[in-house]
Amino acid sequence: MRRGIARTGYDAIGVLVFAVMMFPIYWMVSTALKPGTEILSLTPYWVPNPITFDNFKTAIAVPFFWNDVVNSLVVVLTVVAISIVLAFLAAVAVARFGFRGRSAFIVMVIAVQMVPLNALVIPIYLLLDSVGQVDSLLGVIAYYMAVVLPFMIWTLRGFVHNIPVDLEEAAMVDGASRVGAFMRIVFPLVAPGLVATAIFGFIQAWNEYIIAYVLLSSSSKQTLTIWLASFTTQHGTDWGGLMAGATLTALPVVVFFLLVQRHVAGGLTAGAVKG
Amino acid sequence: MVTAIGLAAALVVAACGSTSQAINPADQTGTLTVWLMNGSAPQSVVDGVNADFKAKYPNVIVNVEIQQWSNVTTKLDTAFAGSAPPDVMELGNTLVAKYGYNGALADITGQKSSFQNSGTWLQSLTDSCTVSGKLYCVPYYAGSRAVIYRKDMFAAAGATVPTSMDEMLAAGQKLMTKYGSDPNFSALYFPGKYWYAAAPFVWDFGGDIATQSGSQWSGAINSSASQQGLSVLQNLVSKLSRADKTGDELKQDQAFAQGHIAMIIANGWEVGVITDKKSGNPSLLPNLGAFPIPSHVAGQTAPVFLGGSDLGIAAKSQHQALAREWVGLLGGTKYQSQMVTVGGVIPNTTSLVTLSSGLPAIFAAAAKNSRFTPNSPNWANVESSNVLQNMLVAIFTGRSSIPDATKAASDKIATILNASS
Amino acid sequence: MRAAGEIGATKALARSHAEASPFNFRAAVARHSLPYALIAPALLVILGVLGWPLVMLLWLSLQHYGLRELFQHQGTFVGLKNFSTILADPQFAYTLRTTIIFTVVNVGLSMLFATLIALLLERVSRFVRVLLGAGLVFVWATPVIPAVNLWQWMFDYEFGVMNWLLTRIGAGNYLHHNWFENPLQGFSVITVIVVWGAIPFLAISLHAGLTQVPRELVEAAQIDGARAWQVFRHVTVPTLRPLLLVLFSLSTIWDFGVFNQVWVLLNQRPAQDYYLMAVFSFQESFRVSQYGLGSAVAVVMIAILVVATFLYVRQTVRSINEGGA
Repeated sequence: MRRGIARTGYDAIGVLVFAVMMFPIYWMVSTALKPGTEILSLTPYWVPNPITFDNFKTAIAVPFFWNDVVNSLVVVLTVVAISIVLAFLAAVAVARFGFRGRSAFIVMVIAVQMVPLNALVIPIYLLLDSVGQVDSLLGVIAYYMAVVLPFMIWTLRGFVHNIPVDLEEAAMVDGASRVGAFMRIVFPLVAPGLVATAIFGFIQAWNEYIIAYVLLSSSSKQTLTIWLASFTTQHGTDWGGLMAGATLTALPVVVFFLLVQRHVAGGLTAGAVKG
Repeated sequence: MVTAIGLAAALVVAACGSTSQAINPADQTGTLTVWLMNGSAPQSVVDGVNADFKAKYPNVIVNVEIQQWSNVTTKLDTAFAGSAPPDVMELGNTLVAKYGYNGALADITGQKSSFQNSGTWLQSLTDSCTVSGKLYCVPYYAGSRAVIYRKDMFAAAGATVPTSMDEMLAAGQKLMTKYGSDPNFSALYFPGKYWYAAAPFVWDFGGDIATQSGSQWSGAINSSASQQGLSVLQNLVSKLSRADKTGDELKQDQAFAQGHIAMIIANGWEVGVITDKKSGNPSLLPNLGAFPIPSHVAGQTAPVFLGGSDLGIAAKSQHQALAREWVGLLGGTKYQSQMVTVGGVIPNTTSLVTLSSGLPAIFAAAAKNSRFTPNSPNWANVESSNVLQNMLVAIFTGRSSIPDATKAASDKIATILNASS
Repeated sequence: MRAAGEIGATKALARSHAEASPFNFRAAVARHSLPYALIAPALLVILGVLGWPLVMLLWLSLQHYGLRELFQHQGTFVGLKNFSTILADPQFAYTLRTTIIFTVVNVGLSMLFATLIALLLERVSRFVRVLLGAGLVFVWATPVIPAVNLWQWMFDYEFGVMNWLLTRIGAGNYLHHNWFENPLQGFSVITVIVVWGAIPFLAISLHAGLTQVPRELVEAAQIDGARAWQVFRHVTVPTLRPLLLVLFSLSTIWDFGVFNQVWVLLNQRPAQDYYLMAVFSFQESFRVSQYGLGSAVAVVMIAILVVATFLYVRQTVRSINEGGA
């Protein structure tokens, strides 16, 4: 009984925290649903009345919107898919092997994360320019991979470390094939870590602005964050469009999370726990 | 390695100088890349220019790419540093000096007369394209400021359109008496960082930002004439404005559209923002009027800052002649006329200013008495260091007296302008 | 993702085989070079993309490098002059001090709130847990630039819902209150935005970590009569220590480099009171076109972070090399 009351109390606090954290999000979504006259008003409108989808319609009608969606998806999925493989391999090496240079590799992985990325804009541009990858999705993909890899390796390392070596060997002794052993025993243990790391990489690459803006100039090659910037012009900001755009940009990540959230709870970091 | 790339870039530049001019237009090939800023030219104008260009050069591909304003200088810096910047780019007129002086833009002094109307280009825009006597761009369009006011409020308060700064204060005070009990009401809404609306007051009394003698700049914003202008403005702001004393002008149109403001100092295109059917209030349109910022001398108007954009050609462009051709079309009579009638901006030449009618005509007229900021490649650094904005904020909030604030700003401006870049 | 796992598994299994037959020469070679083969692709990407730019960043910091130099790719070597210039600049001292205080406050508050929320997540019903979790992810997934725009507008001078709300609930007269006139207030707003954005990743990570605290230990402690605080202090914290260290280090690195929250919030024209190190570096580079100075500021930032996290890095390397966690 007491436990029940305590839980109800915690639930109440939980809902309160939810409300506070979500208030800006609520404001964003409700603004996206408001007609223009209610958006900038000296007395705020709490609930859009009437609800309108005009802002979403204008946001989607921006020229090249669907191009941007495709480009963002291509960039982000490529970055996530490749870097998760590379990060996993490196994580296995660091977690399972002692080798000359391991300490240096670890230090590098941590140190790279300390570099203020805005200071690299010029050097990165000149590097990609010298290899002809300015205004090309490939250049952006390579840069994003280099930026998310250190964090991914770091997270996955602790995670791989947590899997008992005996498990793999036991499965093999039982006569399972290599792949079979992996699929049945190891993969389920690594999967949450991979998912959690993938979310991180996804969000980083999905939301990056300055490098994408500097590198991608052709309208047909730009990504969604540049589309978001198009709501701010010299003539002011289209708040309704911007908020609709931001909502649309955030939604895929939320949906992805809800789909995988069971795995994430354990995963987001079981790895890091032993980090 | 840095040197190697530098050399390579130099070779590329050298190589493109040898493009033959003698080829028949129909046989010219290549791709011309043009950067225009988001919202500058109506699509119909861009399409028209491209169609005319295509008619003459059927085998040249033109890519017009629209760029965003947010962090645009970062984009321009990197693009000019790269090996293949766009051939043509739109530049805010205060940026040209910096890029021209540092070698990013092609010197087109020799070809000036080949551009239509180059004899009647707006003086302030031409000034913005000229660095050390050389021409680095073609004026594109201009914007100038005047006062947008509410006719209905003026009528209700018994105020008349002012013809001097004193009358402007008097009119504002009548409005404050009538509407001032509304805590959101401003007779003249003047955000604290709005330097380009403050400059006319300085210029009108004969003051200036900085003056040049030889190659040396000296700050002039603390001259007694400048200070006089600023103190008149300070008086207006303290009595008539309830705008944010540390804010900027970015949202003044949306504020105006809310209906608690009688006057703002604004660009011509801001009428469109105020009455936009989505974000503004279209019903205000019949009640909107405009008048030039009055001088302290009755019957005259104050000089205004001429904003706007120019069209530059990259020094590294491999299609200099084609680029000039395209720029010539957009800057020429046919499409400048459309920029006025469809785009509602002030054209690059005095010969077309008369095309404006209605409210835009008042802004276009104001452009005739216009000034430009000190034409130094370092001026952009004064702007990005917010020297004048911070000075205004210090004055309006009472943090410093006018003499102290202007002295500090003047010293800083002189230091920045005289720095070797 | 499945393919990724398979490759990893095959390699790992290959290793087990190599161990099983120690006298096989080829296997010994394979075993020796395997870890290098495993890190090679990642190393190649990281060094291939960031290696040269990092060297160039260092090289820029030793040169006079303005726009002309940038366009010609040819700076003038000036030794350590850029560093002596920025160190002599009073703005630098102010910015560094502000940034350090800002980082300490933000890391502290982010970690505190994230820990509380993680503990809360353990105690609520499943429905509230998923609700709160989804909410946290929504916050996390919102692109930072529009998010800051949103906050900017919520704290706006005349249209801001905060001023309206605070006035309404009787917290005083906030009509036309300017949050950025006084830098202390302004930085409070920035802190709110940064902490709000940082909480989701930290809280979700910590919650995941909490699920690994052994139940038996907690129960044993409770049977021994330990209070909730004591259990937290003596059981939970020690178990989470490695995770807490990782999160503290990452938060320190991130908060020390805060840029967008200031830059966007203050309309890309922050007053000098609001300079943080990353803003200072960007301003020197892209607004004043002194790329040498801007790079020098960035190099100093890296140096400070290296010093600040030195103990953590050394500890980590040591424990990994000892085969521990």
